[in-house]
Amino acid sequence: MESHPPKWADRILEWYCNPELLEDLQGDLHEIFKGTVENKNERAAKWLYAWLVLRSFRWSAIRKDQALKNSFTVMTYNNLKIAVRVLWKDRLNSGINLVGLTIGITCFLLLGLYVKQEVSFDHFHRQKDNIYRLWLKETYNNGNIFFNSVTPPRFEVFFEENFPEVQTAVQLNFNQYLVGTGEEKLTDQVAIISPEFFEVFDFPVVDGNTEEPLGSRESIVLSQSYAKKYFGDRDPLGKTLGIEILDGTREFVVNAIFRDPPVTSSIQFDMAISNVINDEIFGERYKNAWFSVGPETYVLLKDNSDTEKIMEKAEQVAMNLIGESRDLESYRIGLQPITDIHLNPAIPLGYAPVSNPQYIFILGAIGLLVLIIACVNYATLSIGQSMKRGKEVGVRKVLGAVKPGLILQYLSESILMVLIAMVTGTVVATLLIPTFNNLTNSNLQIVFESWHVLAFICGVLIIGFIAGIYPSLILSNLRALVTLRGGSSAGNKHVVRQGLMVFQFLITIFLISSTLIMRKQVNFLQNEDLGYTYKSAITARLFPRPGEDTTFISRNNSAMANGELLKSALGKYPEISDIAMASHVFGSNGWAKLVATEEDGTYWRFRLLIADPYFIPSFNIKMSDGRNFETGNIADERQGVIINQAAADYFGMEDPVGKRLTPKEFGEHIVLGVTEDFHYSSLHHEVDPLIIVQNPRPIFEGVSDGDILDDPMPKLMFTYNGPNISKAFDILETEWNNVFPNAELNWSFLDERIKLQYENEARMNRLVSTATIMSIVIAMLGLIGLIILVINSKVKEIGIRKVLGAGTITLFKLLYRNFGIQILIALVLSIPVTMWLMTRWLENFAFRVNIGVEVFIISGLIAVIAGSLVIGYHTFRASRVNPVESLRTE
Amino acid sequence: MKGESIGELEELVLLTVGSLMDKAYAVAILEEIKERTGRKLDVTAVHSVLRRLEKKGFTNSTMGGATQDRGGRRKRYFTLTVAGRKIIDETMVTRMELYKKLLMATQ
Repeated sequence: MESHPPKWADRILEWYCNPELLEDLQGDLHEIFKGTVENKNERAAKWLYAWLVLRSFRWSAIRKDQALKNSFTVMTYNNLKIAVRVLWKDRLNSGINLVGLTIGITCFLLLGLYVKQEVSFDHFHRQKDNIYRLWLKETYNNGNIFFNSVTPPRFEVFFEENFPEVQTAVQLNFNQYLVGTGEEKLTDQVAIISPEFFEVFDFPVVDGNTEEPLGSRESIVLSQSYAKKYFGDRDPLGKTLGIEILDGTREFVVNAIFRDPPVTSSIQFDMAISNVINDEIFGERYKNAWFSVGPETYVLLKDNSDTEKIMEKAEQVAMNLIGESRDLESYRIGLQPITDIHLNPAIPLGYAPVSNPQYIFILGAIGLLVLIIACVNYATLSIGQSMKRGKEVGVRKVLGAVKPGLILQYLSESILMVLIAMVTGTVVATLLIPTFNNLTNSNLQIVFESWHVLAFICGVLIIGFIAGIYPSLILSNLRALVTLRGGSSAGNKHVVRQGLMVFQFLITIFLISSTLIMRKQVNFLQNEDLGYTYKSAITARLFPRPGEDTTFISRNNSAMANGELLKSALGKYPEISDIAMASHVFGSNGWAKLVATEEDGTYWRFRLLIADPYFIPSFNIKMSDGRNFETGNIADERQGVIINQAAADYFGMEDPVGKRLTPKEFGEHIVLGVTEDFHYSSLHHEVDPLIIVQNPRPIFEGVSDGDILDDPMPKLMFTYNGPNISKAFDILETEWNNVFPNAELNWSFLDERIKLQYENEARMNRLVSTATIMSIVIAMLGLIGLIILVINSKVKEIGIRKVLGAGTITLFKLLYRNFGIQILIALVLSIPVTMWLMTRWLENFAFRVNIGVEVFIISGLIAVIAGSLVIGYHTFRASRVNPVESLRTE
Repeated sequence: MKGESIGELEELVLLTVGSLMDKAYAVAILEEIKERTGRKLDVTAVHSVLRRLEKKGFTNSTMGGATQDRGGRRKRYFTLTVAGRKIIDETMVTRMELYKKLLMATQ
């Protein structure tokens, strides 16, 4: 049987193809079709034919005659042509509109990208819907609750053995080790992970052993950037890397290289070894503990597993295995989807940083607000212009234009405008990404994907529609007779226009007020009297002698002894004073948190600082009662304890000096003094009870559990009094290298560490400030545009008034009255909105500022001044025109 | 001047048109190129190039006689114009000169 190409394809070809070219093109296609039928089969030939018909659709081949000239294409073309002409004719206004829209779109794009990146965290794992991180919540009869997303090490085996739903369980732990090739070593973070880690997560192994990246105890895997860091351009595979674990250096063989984790990954690691090494690092007790925690545990579930059921079963099974030990009320194990980690602050922090979803929401909202301001701006300006264009509408209507046609025409103006703004905005936004990253300290990346084109087109249409629909409705509603007769048209439309103006001012003033409040809070956080002084203080981390006994106390003592060496070396310099040592420094939220249990089940939670006698005077911490440790006093050193006021209240001690602390389990000790509360954690938190000791042994005797997030190795701190702070670092480096020639110096400025705690707020403030400035600019642009229109329409009025003797001030009043009222209304309306929203933001802080009246006064003033400047300038220009000029036009 | 320059694919098609003498129509050109160079071109691409060449004045086209196997549709045969021949010659000369230089340099 003879086969034929599909009829429909032929028809399409005949429809669009230029008749002159049709015959031979169709002939060729038929010939190819026949050839394909003979060589392959009919189906393939038909597909190919259809494909070729589509591919032949090229500009050079299509017919350029009546077929394409239907009313739609012609009108669209005509509309666009008119739009270009109209926009070009009124270049000033178009320019203002364009700049406003571009700024709005740029802000929106940048903030939108930021928000999108934040919400897409961890979505790149192919099995993301089946990967969960475990959390553990222990509740005790006395009301104590321990809630962690780092979990006991035995969970890996526990879940793999007891739950058929679990396909794989893997763990992730981090440790700081000295790492390096040969003699050169630096402290680096090493991930200790289960060998199946790469089967669960999508961190592609690009080189080396892709089957079993962590096949053996001696294997190490590196990220691409770390391969470069340690081996430069040499091939790292098969080379060895020494890691100082416990008391000796162990050699690891580089077995595989994986691609650097993307910025949108919660799990960030650059170097990993297998967790089979746990049996060497940790004792049996740790490995089999149900209560002490270390690694994060992730489970990969089989499809359609019921997480609720697993949680229930996990609690039962675990409780059975634990038995009746301690007065445990419940042992809840929960599953948190991996994609939930980044934006859920309700689950405690594991290793991954968590963003505040509130901030993401605020940023998204601000981006949208700025865009809305830009759209409103366009609308008000276009409505303002409608006075000028009344005649045009009249003529069009007389010539037979219908309303939908007119609406379409004015919409195409706004869409064209938005298209230009969108293109410029996209380019500007792309160029601004590095600046944006700098400003926000984020890591925004733009990756082009094909759907962006569609989003772009939709964006243009939607924004164009929103910006243009109202003006085009107004314009198309004008009545031909009225406009052509030349009477002033449509007085009632001013209400809506003024409403829009008020709305625009409202958003601007709201943004100004919010910026001011945020700035106030951030300044407060950074300048609040923290209860200690820390200007020009520098801290350096000490380390124990290698090979030192591994108990915490002896390592601590060894590091302290090292510190004494450095201290005497630094003591030589007159510009260095207040040298002290302590286990923690300011600017961290992780000061050792310990728990003491008494026999009757009473729990005490407090924080512990191991410090030398110089710590308290060095930072000018005030004593409210008793005294500091005495230097050289052996009794003080062995059993002296200093507590803060919060601890005195917490332990319920009226007059603690000279007494023991309330918990009976502690060893021999005596309270020497009480300090005033100082904010050793960030001001997000209340001041926790704190115990300061020189010798932690008596306290440790009573401690049953603890949670040490911050590194507890002692640090040395000193104050530099010289003129040039960078010299301080030189001195430290020189002396450090003299005293410890083989160790790496880890140091920081205290005030930088403290500032870093409020980095989130500071970043937020920078973003909102920028957005605010942008919105002020847009609002002012709008005002400029409008005032020019108003002045143009009042040229004669101004001329007559001048002839009758009005001065510049009178004219200013005339023009300002309207806008002044609008700004005032906007200011009043913005107050409750701002109060409500900002109070909610301030609730994040334990210590916060009052919003205060001055905020609104200042933001009102800014708005009024900005408005006055614009209006004043143009009034001045208008009033300079000789009335003869303006009145002569008649 | 319009039509001065000529692209790589255009050159290839133009050469083929010349070498096929009076049998050059799109499908034949397509198959010739496939046979000589192994390049699998799309017939639509060939058409597009041929239209461009004709517009630039390098080729002329005439319709051939009707045949049965194309549903009675005629073929469009292409021939080189003088300008087409000239541009081929020029390109070849330039290439040969450069090639000779390369040979000299690598000897």
